Amino acid sequence: MNFELEALFVEEDARASALAERVIARLPAGVAVRYVADGRSATRPPAGADPFGAAKRRIVLMRHRGGFLKSCPAGSSEFACCGYQVMILASNCPMDCSYCFLQEYVADNPGLQIYTNYHEAFDELDRLAARAPGRSFRIGTGELADSLAFDTLTGISRDLVEYFAARQNLLLELKTKTDEIANLLTIDPKGRTLVSWTLSPERVFRASEHHTAAPAARIDAARRVHEAGYKVAFHLDPIIAYAEAEADYAALLEELFALIPPERIAFISLGGLRMTPTLRTIARRRFPSDPMLVGEEALAPDGRYRAFTPLRLGLFTRIRERLTRAHPQLPIYLCMESPSAHRRVLGAPPASPAQMGARLARV
Amino acid sequence: MIEREQSGRIRDWAVQRRLPAAIVERWLGLDAADRDALLALAEGLRLRTGQFVSAFELLEETRLRDGGDVAGILARGELRGVIEGGGSRPERAHLLLEGLRAIRFPRLRAAAAGLAEKIAELKLPLSIRVVLPQNLGSDELRVELTARSGAELEELLDALAARRTALCRIADALGGSDEFEDEF
Repeated sequence: MNFELEALFVEEDARASALAERVIARLPAGVAVRYVADGRSATRPPAGADPFGAAKRRIVLMRHRGGFLKSCPAGSSEFACCGYQVMILASNCPMDCSYCFLQEYVADNPGLQIYTNYHEAFDELDRLAARAPGRSFRIGTGELADSLAFDTLTGISRDLVEYFAARQNLLLELKTKTDEIANLLTIDPKGRTLVSWTLSPERVFRASEHHTAAPAARIDAARRVHEAGYKVAFHLDPIIAYAEAEADYAALLEELFALIPPERIAFISLGGLRMTPTLRTIARRRFPSDPMLVGEEALAPDGRYRAFTPLRLGLFTRIRERLTRAHPQLPIYLCMESPSAHRRVLGAPPASPAQMGARLARV
Repeated sequence: MIEREQSGRIRDWAVQRRLPAAIVERWLGLDAADRDALLALAEGLRLRTGQFVSAFELLEETRLRDGGDVAGILARGELRGVIEGGGSRPERAHLLLEGLRAIRFPRLRAAAAGLAEKIAELKLPLSIRVVLPQNLGSDELRVELTARSGAELEELLDALAARRTALCRIADALGGSDEFEDEF
C-alpha cells in the first residue's frame, strides 16, 4: 500500500540502528530525512488545521522508553476481556479511520513513532514465558498501531515471526487493515503467528476507513497468508448499527466464507462502535461528512456512546447466529462489552481474562 | 442583495442570542433555502440559544445520515404542525425539539415506546415502578417496590409474580431479543 509520507525523523541515538538503516534505504524518493536529538519533540502535533492528520504523515524512528509489554488498554473490570497482551512497537497509524480511538488516545503525541530498540521486547517476552511455564499467551502488536502498515519499509514482521516461531507458549497476533503481507509470505511461522484483519462492510469502509485496504483485498490477503501457513482471525469491530447493517454484515460474511472456510478461522471477535464524548467530538470535527458517526447512540454506563442496547445486542446476536450456523465450533468473543452482554449474545458467562487469553493463544 | 439581507438578519439574531461563532459560520455555510428555513424557525418560535443549537445539531445529524436538506426536514408534516400550530411559543419550541429527536433517533424512539407500552399493559399497582434505562443505554431493568408493611409488600410481590413471564420478556427485549425486533 502507498501511504502518504512527508518526512522521516530519526533520533540521533537510533541513527545506527538496523531499523533506521532499513527504513532509510527503502524510503520513497522525495521524503525528507531529519535527525533530531530527542524523537519525542517530533511526535508532538504539528501546527495546522488538522494536526492529528498531519502527524500521521511523519514517521519518527526513536528508542522506546519504558516497557514494551502491557495488558490491553481496552481491558477493564467492567468488561469481559479476552486476556490480550499488547506489545507496543509503534504508536499511531498512517490510515485514518473516522472512529479510531487513537484520535483521543495519542492526541498529544500523534507522530507515527516506530521503536528502533524493539528487540528489547523479546527479552520481556522471554521473562514472561519463564515466569508462567505451561501458560499460553496471545501477544499482539496491533493495539496502538496497525501491525503491518509500513512493514515493507520496516521489515519488523520478519523478526517477530521468526522469534515467535521458536516459542511454543507464545502466539503472535498481527492485527491489520492493510494487505501488506509480502514479508510474511517469505517466512514459515511454524504455527506461532496469527494474522487478524478488522473487517467492515464496504459501506463502512467507504465512509469511514480512509487509506485502508478494501474489505475484499483484506480477505484475499488473509487467504494468501493462510495458504502460507499462518493462522487467521477476524475482528468485526467496530460493528456499526446503521439501518442496512444486518444485511451488509451477512454479505460480508458470505464473501469471507467463500474464500476462507469458517473451520479454518481461529476466532472472530465482535465489538460495537464506542466513543467517549471527547472522541466523538474529535471524530465529528475531523470527519463532518461521515454518516457512520451519527447513529442512534446512547450514553452507556461506561461513559461511552454506543448504539442503544437492544439494537446493538440484537445485531450482535444475529451476527453470532450466522457465524454459529456457518461453523458451530467457531470461537467468538466480544470486545469491551459487559459480562451480561456476553451472556445475552453468546449464551454463556464469560471466562476469566486469563482463561480467555490462554484459550485464544492455543487456537 | 436578498442573500446579503438574509445574512444580516442571521448575524443580528446570532448577536442577540450570543450564538457561538462556530455555529453562526455553519449556519451561514448552508444553502440559501436551509439558511432561510432555520432563520424562520428561530424567529418564529423565538428559540433560546440552547434550543437553537440543539435543533441545528439534530437537523444536521439527520441530514447527514438520511440525506436531504434542512428545509426538507422542517417541512415534514409532524414538524410543520408544531411550527405553525397553536400553543405558546415555548411549548412549541419544546415540541419541536421532541419531534426532531424522534426523527433523529427513530429506532430508539420506537423501541422505547414499544417497551413502555408493554409495561403499561402489565397494569401494575401504583406502588410498583418498572424503570427502563435512560435512552436504553444499558440492559438493566429496574423494578421498584414501595411498601409500608409486610402485608403490602406481599401483595406487591404477588402482583409481580403474576406477571413474571411478561416482565422477563421485557428484560430480555432490553438485551436485544427478537421480541420487539420489528419496532427497531
